[in-house]
Amino acid sequence: MPITLPDPNDVKAAFPVITDLTFLAAGGFKAVYKIALGSKIEALKIIEMRSTPGASAEEKAIEWTELRARVSREVSVLKDINIPELVRLGAIELAPVLIGGKDYLAYSEEFIIGKDLMKLIRENGPRPDEVELRALILTLLKAIRELWGKGIIHRDIKPANIMKTEDPARPFVLMDLGIAFAVDETGITGNSAAIPATMKYIAPEMLFRGFRNMIDWRSDLYAAGLSVYEYAAFIHPLARGSDDPGTTLYNALKKTPKFLKEVRQDLNGKFCTLIDQMLKKKQALRPSNIEMLIKNLEAGL
Amino acid sequence: MKLYAQQGSMEGDKIVSGLRNNLIDGVILSPRDIRLDTMKDKISEYRFIAQRTELYFDPQLYAAFSHSGEGHKLGYLLEDYSEYFKPYRRTQLTRESSVEDLLKRSIEFQSRIGELSAVIAPNIIIPRSLDSIETVISMNFIRLARKIANQLQIKKPLIVTLAINREALFKEQDILELVNDLTALDEPPDGFYILIATRSQEARSEIFNADVISIWMYLNYALSLNGFKVINGYSDLMAPFLSAAQGAGAATGWWSNLRNFSIEKFEPAAGGGRLPIQRYLSCSLLNRITFPELDQLRGMPEILNGLSTDGDYPAGAEPKRNKEILQSWESLKKLIGTLDAENIGTGVALEKCLVMVEKASNLYERITLRYDLDQKSNADHLPAIQEGIRLFKKLAELDPG
Repeated sequence: MPITLPDPNDVKAAFPVITDLTFLAAGGFKAVYKIALGSKIEALKIIEMRSTPGASAEEKAIEWTELRARVSREVSVLKDINIPELVRLGAIELAPVLIGGKDYLAYSEEFIIGKDLMKLIRENGPRPDEVELRALILTLLKAIRELWGKGIIHRDIKPANIMKTEDPARPFVLMDLGIAFAVDETGITGNSAAIPATMKYIAPEMLFRGFRNMIDWRSDLYAAGLSVYEYAAFIHPLARGSDDPGTTLYNALKKTPKFLKEVRQDLNGKFCTLIDQMLKKKQALRPSNIEMLIKNLEAGL
Repeated sequence: MKLYAQQGSMEGDKIVSGLRNNLIDGVILSPRDIRLDTMKDKISEYRFIAQRTELYFDPQLYAAFSHSGEGHKLGYLLEDYSEYFKPYRRTQLTRESSVEDLLKRSIEFQSRIGELSAVIAPNIIIPRSLDSIETVISMNFIRLARKIANQLQIKKPLIVTLAINREALFKEQDILELVNDLTALDEPPDGFYILIATRSQEARSEIFNADVISIWMYLNYALSLNGFKVINGYSDLMAPFLSAAQGAGAATGWWSNLRNFSIEKFEPAAGGGRLPIQRYLSCSLLNRITFPELDQLRGMPEILNGLSTDGDYPAGAEPKRNKEILQSWESLKKLIGTLDAENIGTGVALEKCLVMVEKASNLYERITLRYDLDQKSNADHLPAIQEGIRLFKKLAELDPG
């Protein structure tokens, strides 16, 4: 069920500092607006405090607590991190807010001018060259390194969460830490069997019972490899749009993708091998020494 | 892949000749066999021959753990290396502080004895079950080594010993989990010194077993992929296959107890032995044959390697005993050069391995039409290698999609 979108005037009324507001996108719980705060442009995120229809008061309280905790985590991670590869927080601090009589959480992030990679894939324009793909993998590796340095796994790296910007100094930005996971904290979701991730980009180890004890930064490396592969080839290496969820998960566990070199013969062999290696089912087979990877990539591999 | 001498007793001029003739790239030093003063002199001597020589010191602490009384063959370890080496019992090592203390003393010792290329953190042997106290102790050595090296401000690379009983390699899932943990250490070392322990130092079939081969290759492959330098002690004829799996180094020596790693070497001897018959390592057979067998097979030119050390095996005569190891090193170096994944990639290297095994099988078929070979010289190793490579490819997810 998608978010109940509030009236834009109600949003403006809830935030008097906003001088202009344009709706951008909406998902299950979240809507994003482009806002002007005087001369400054930012992205406002509002999250609906919603509960499952028919839930008891107690269940509703649990669901709201989980949702608040998840959003708070996302914001506190972003507060702690200030690198160009990850989206930065904006001027509006996270707070509960009543919009048109309904409960939401809201905060702002910097507004990234550009397009997300999924849009670019769907537009089916010219495929990115190797220079661009190297910049992309470097961005993702640096973001993963930074997050893991704080014991955090992003868990939702995918083309739709990566923005391609027009800034050569900052060509890509990783967004949306909504389901990020801190290894030294207890799970936010009460249901330990629930897997918070986008199925097409889920690392195989996340499909096992007790996955919270098994995952580490290499789960993010897997999703980063998938994203680069998909952006390079404009084809998801494991899933087709028509696949049912069962097939998608089976493929994540069992299917070996075609070598990237087979679908992008113009790319350097070592670069393709690196991306292929990041897609291995076993965590130990993904090259996990991020420092070494970054050094090699920056040196031209 | 680099090839090292696995040092042992009665070294004579073997290592010096190996270094001078560029047959080996370095030495793994054995304190059990060398007095401390001699050890220091040898380090200087080896360095003098070639500055690029890689020198490593195996602390051999695994022998201290198994020591249980009289008759143990600990050589000079107790006397000259007591600064870090003394017998330990399992209960003593369950305390993390004891492990830290041993690491500290062993690493500190190595930082003082001469110009080594790296320090090797000691360890005990993981027994047949990975679900054991010994495995926990072993992982503590691995986990804590970097912290101790940092405390001691060691600037040289840190290699950690990973010694595993070959029986443990049969529990594939446990090994995969172990490798998963090793590749996600919070404070990782720079490399691993891998030892696969066999029950006996003689049994060829203990190493040339498909499961042992595949897991040993997998250890090399996964650890190398994750940026670790992997040195395989006592690896002998496995060296070319480990180089195909991206291993960085392998070592072998002149006695059978330097070609297979077994704690038997440190245990009381059952009785005296006689000198083994000298052998010739034939690259085409991927095996050694006795020198009388070589004489019989000289009519088959593929048997000879066409290398300079062939001259040390004159027709109809016994070669000089100190030459056998030089022939082994030169032949292994040739095989490693052909199969080294660093140059040709793992996929191509494995294909080449399989072709070589196939050719060796054909050659053996021709030989056995006319001759009976000694048990150690026969083709028993080849099916295991073939199957081991197949299993390794599956484990390493190397088959194309």
